[in-house]
Amino acid sequence: MRAVLLLFALTFVAGCAVDTGPPARTAERFATAVTSGQGDAACALLAARTAARLPDRGQTCGQALNELRLTGGPVLSVSLWGDEAQVRLNGDTLFLHRYDGGWRVRAAGCTPKGENLPYDCEVDD
Amino acid sequence: MKRFLKENSLSLFFLLIFALALVGQALAGQAKFNDQQLVDGGQPISLVEYVATSDFAVDVAENWQSEYLQFLLFILATVWLVQRGSPESKELGKEGGESDEDQLVGEHARRDSPAWATAGGLRKALISNSLGWVMGLVFALSWLAQSVAGLAAGNAERLAELRDPESWGGYVTGPEFWSRTLQNWQSEFLAVASMVALSIYLRQRGSAESKPVGSPHDATGVEG
Repeated sequence: MRAVLLLFALTFVAGCAVDTGPPARTAERFATAVTSGQGDAACALLAARTAARLPDRGQTCGQALNELRLTGGPVLSVSLWGDEAQVRLNGDTLFLHRYDGGWRVRAAGCTPKGENLPYDCEVDD
Repeated sequence: MKRFLKENSLSLFFLLIFALALVGQALAGQAKFNDQQLVDGGQPISLVEYVATSDFAVDVAENWQSEYLQFLLFILATVWLVQRGSPESKELGKEGGESDEDQLVGEHARRDSPAWATAGGLRKALISNSLGWVMGLVFALSWLAQSVAGLAAGNAERLAELRDPESWGGYVTGPEFWSRTLQNWQSEFLAVASMVALSIYLRQRGSAESKPVGSPHDATGVEG
């Protein structure tokens, strides 16, 4: 019986006790940077793999991000499960991942393609 | 101490191999999890971090619930259902809750019977069904834990795939939950059916789960 209670405690810790603040703050900083044309600052908040895939030849990550003219806006909702998060902004949906150095944006400029289907994102990894 | 070990060796043996298997599952699961972390560009996690993940919790809980369900059904089904020739069945004609005399309760309790077997009312009802209630409670809690941990693990995977997370209601009526559940149930039910049927004709000398070797095939409710 004690083992069952322990399993429940682990499940609770793993699944329920979440702080949505950190991914929301990263998403807000990213949105503020992209909407004010600060591509380099926004790129610093991208996951390494996403930032590496983004620019075309001869471009910097910041230039490529500025060209996309992503929209932002205030945070409407945050879903956080494990090391993954989805932040809905007024004008965009972002997907983030928690790395050792903190939350980084894996995908941005995302639009839904239907229930249970992956979002179609302007920027992803 | 030696006497305690000898008199409880069956429980202690299974508790020991349970603990070893659980540690083995955690180590193997951590290695598999960290392999996937590398593929996804994440960092490896420690064993302590891994056993606190929903991935580990759902893998443990889905097996627990099916095992406790198996024994719950075995306990309850053998009240009413019989199998001619099986040592796992009681004798034919004894189907049902049986008389107080057969069950040694109430005025038929012996001096060494549990105290609540002598009592009436709720205490008698509780002790008369306590094994089923506890197995059923652990089954229900484990199944609930599987659903919560499975939802957490599944939603992390969905977000990693750039998909919307789903609700608990959506998860427990969806294919992932029932695939995990039924793949465990079918194997448990087959194992019980095999045990009931094979023990009619096959013997394991000295085992409490087998008839004595020379016992006839149609002898029912006889354990060695």
